[in-house]
Amino acid sequence: MSLDLQRYPLAEAYDELVDKDHVPRPAARALLEYLQELGDEQLQARRAAVDAAIVTMGITFTIYSDGENIDRPWPFDPIPRIMTGTEWWRIERGLKQRLTALNLFIDDLYNAQRVVRDKVFPAELLASSRNFRKDCTGVLPRFGVWAHICGTDLVRDRDGTVYVLEDNLRVPSGVSYMLENRLLMKSFLPELFEACPILPIDAYTAQLYEMLAALSPRQGERPVIAVLTPGVYNSAYFEHSYLAQQMGADLVEGADLVMGVDDCVYTKTIDGLRRVDVIYRRIDDDFLDPDTFRPDSVLGVRGLMRAWRRGKVGIANAPGAGVADDKVVYTFVPKLIRYYLGEDPIIPNVPSYLCMDEAERGYVLANLDKLVVKPANESGGYGMLVGPHASPLERVRCAERVRADPRNYMAQPTLALSTAPTLVGDSWAPRHVDLRPFVLQSSGICVTTGGLTRVAMREGSLVVNSSQGGGSKDTWIVEGRD
Amino acid sequence: MLSRVAEHLYWMARSLERAEDTARLIIATSRVLLDLPRGASFGWDVLVRIVGLNRRFDESYPSHDEGNIMRFLVADLGNPSSILSCIQAARENSRRLRDVLPRACWERINAMYLNARADAARITGRSDRNCMLEELIMRRQGIDGLLSECMSHDIAYQFIRLGEHLERADMTTRIVDIHAAVLVPRQQVPEDPTIALLWVGVLRSLSAFQMYRRHGNVQITSAGVVNFLVKDAHFPRSVRYCLDKIESHLSELPHHATSLRALRRTQRLVDGMNLDSLAPAVRHEYLDAVQSDLARIHDEVAQGYFHYCDDQSGPLRTEAA
Repeated sequence: MSLDLQRYPLAEAYDELVDKDHVPRPAARALLEYLQELGDEQLQARRAAVDAAIVTMGITFTIYSDGENIDRPWPFDPIPRIMTGTEWWRIERGLKQRLTALNLFIDDLYNAQRVVRDKVFPAELLASSRNFRKDCTGVLPRFGVWAHICGTDLVRDRDGTVYVLEDNLRVPSGVSYMLENRLLMKSFLPELFEACPILPIDAYTAQLYEMLAALSPRQGERPVIAVLTPGVYNSAYFEHSYLAQQMGADLVEGADLVMGVDDCVYTKTIDGLRRVDVIYRRIDDDFLDPDTFRPDSVLGVRGLMRAWRRGKVGIANAPGAGVADDKVVYTFVPKLIRYYLGEDPIIPNVPSYLCMDEAERGYVLANLDKLVVKPANESGGYGMLVGPHASPLERVRCAERVRADPRNYMAQPTLALSTAPTLVGDSWAPRHVDLRPFVLQSSGICVTTGGLTRVAMREGSLVVNSSQGGGSKDTWIVEGRD
Repeated sequence: MLSRVAEHLYWMARSLERAEDTARLIIATSRVLLDLPRGASFGWDVLVRIVGLNRRFDESYPSHDEGNIMRFLVADLGNPSSILSCIQAARENSRRLRDVLPRACWERINAMYLNARADAARITGRSDRNCMLEELIMRRQGIDGLLSECMSHDIAYQFIRLGEHLERADMTTRIVDIHAAVLVPRQQVPEDPTIALLWVGVLRSLSAFQMYRRHGNVQITSAGVVNFLVKDAHFPRSVRYCLDKIESHLSELPHHATSLRALRRTQRLVDGMNLDSLAPAVRHEYLDAVQSDLARIHDEVAQGYFHYCDDQSGPLRTEAA
């Protein structure tokens, strides 16, 4: 074989690298020409080298259903996804705008609740929100920021429009894979990095460190930062240790931490207790503090919430930030941007139907075969129904769930997610992709250059979630126009 | 340094050392076996006795044949001291240490594990087995070099070397004790040529043959070999050398008084031993005493560093007050 653009089986969707006449988009021309010239043997040899590197480097992602095997190699596709700088800088502005508004919203909900009094956000929605934490009311975190790290999922529809699909404000993962993908890419196609103006992405860990350091209650001293992980069996453990390593922070488990009678948090060291200033927690609110949340949690630290409320320790993301990470709240974000910032949203939402609204619910139930139905509070694609791909029985079950708990569901039209050329066997084929950039906010705000491109490895599949067997690609932002 | 991290470092190092020492022991024994005259009393079960696992072995295996012993010592994940178990343990420990160790360290231990797992099926053939074990030793040495040359010799490093030398000292006493394990019941004359062969095997298993010839004695005598492996100050696998290393690593750690006391006691014990004229049974008791002492040093280290904060709420309350 060898790769031949004329025989690339374009699907109906928008392709990120190839236009409908099988011509490379300008930013992708150098890459596609290079790949076609590379030749089968070279291509396969490099692919094998990359696969071997993934296993040896131990870049893994755990899938819970995979039994004892906690080391599933990270599925990586070596053909990058490319976006032009012009398009990207607009998206970046949109992401900053969105997270700024979301943080103003969260801070408002836990304090004055202006947005509810002004009837922009319905009181009954707030009352029924599972992620609204009463224990967080009245807290004023530094800079008024609650969601310090946000992973926003972007998708592109048939006509080329980029939409926000969801905001992940609890413990979004994937950024380490974004960084590792770039390393792998440099060994797969080193020549192209000379030929193409590909923007670097490696500022992230330093930015993450700066962002976290700004949350320290003891300003002026070098802060002690700890990454709190649920442990080695967590699906994203690789990422937790990776980030700790890159920042020179301590990677801690709940049992390594203890509260002092002074309400400060300490780590247990070989030389006694050492105060921790900032915790980058990678465990859910529910497990943070058995005194406040789930009493059976062994992952967290007893009394941690008290320390945080008293300003003795910074926590990122702040407890309670997940209130805005709710697929029903999501539908209000365009309104929230207008309300808090007086601006029009730069990146649109996917049109959505709220099942709590009777008329919209009627539409959803009548059109389950066309829609994607999502529960408000699940992440990782769990509990989701992709109507056109579901069996009649699955649709009936879904309708029952929606009727039983309408507040907890929303639906969106099935987008024809854009595709990108992906190596399949010894050829390439279009596979659906999304894009997860990461936004950091504390004293300032910044965005990763590009993000993690996730790819649904099965033909026709729209599910890109890593926990559902999706893979990923390196994402290139190249200077230049569309 | 987190107590938990210190503990992982220590056990990672001990596991790697145990895997390497076991590999050395098997290679050397295989060689000795080839040289033995017909009828000499020497069986593979010696290996299991040296590592102190004879009871566990007897529980799971019906006979002491070479295949069973090799499976048990190399590939049996039910035996926590098998080579594969040790490498796996080192890997699981180092997985939690990625933020402390040089990045390549995890990659190398991971590669070592993947390699050993793939090779484990080939252990029954002697030649394949030798290749596998030799490679394992080389990989281990690579990891060692990486740590010594690419990692700051910080507190984390001290815990690695501490675990390594404790394990090595223990293993050396066991290997030296092979003499008791094999020949004591037969009461042979001390300088029987078969015994000399065994001592060559012992020296080889510790890569000590050449150095013994150079710095010890050209003659292979029981007393000469035992003295060299227990009391030589410069050979890196001798008990005395390991104890000196443990001393210097402990000295780098905070509040080390108690562990150093236990260490010095062991040093005195070793220094005071007269190994020239002892009957094998007495020598066995001496070596046994050293092993108990090493276990005590381990206990002091665990108490003083891994469980340091568990035992005292004191500093916490003082700081608050």
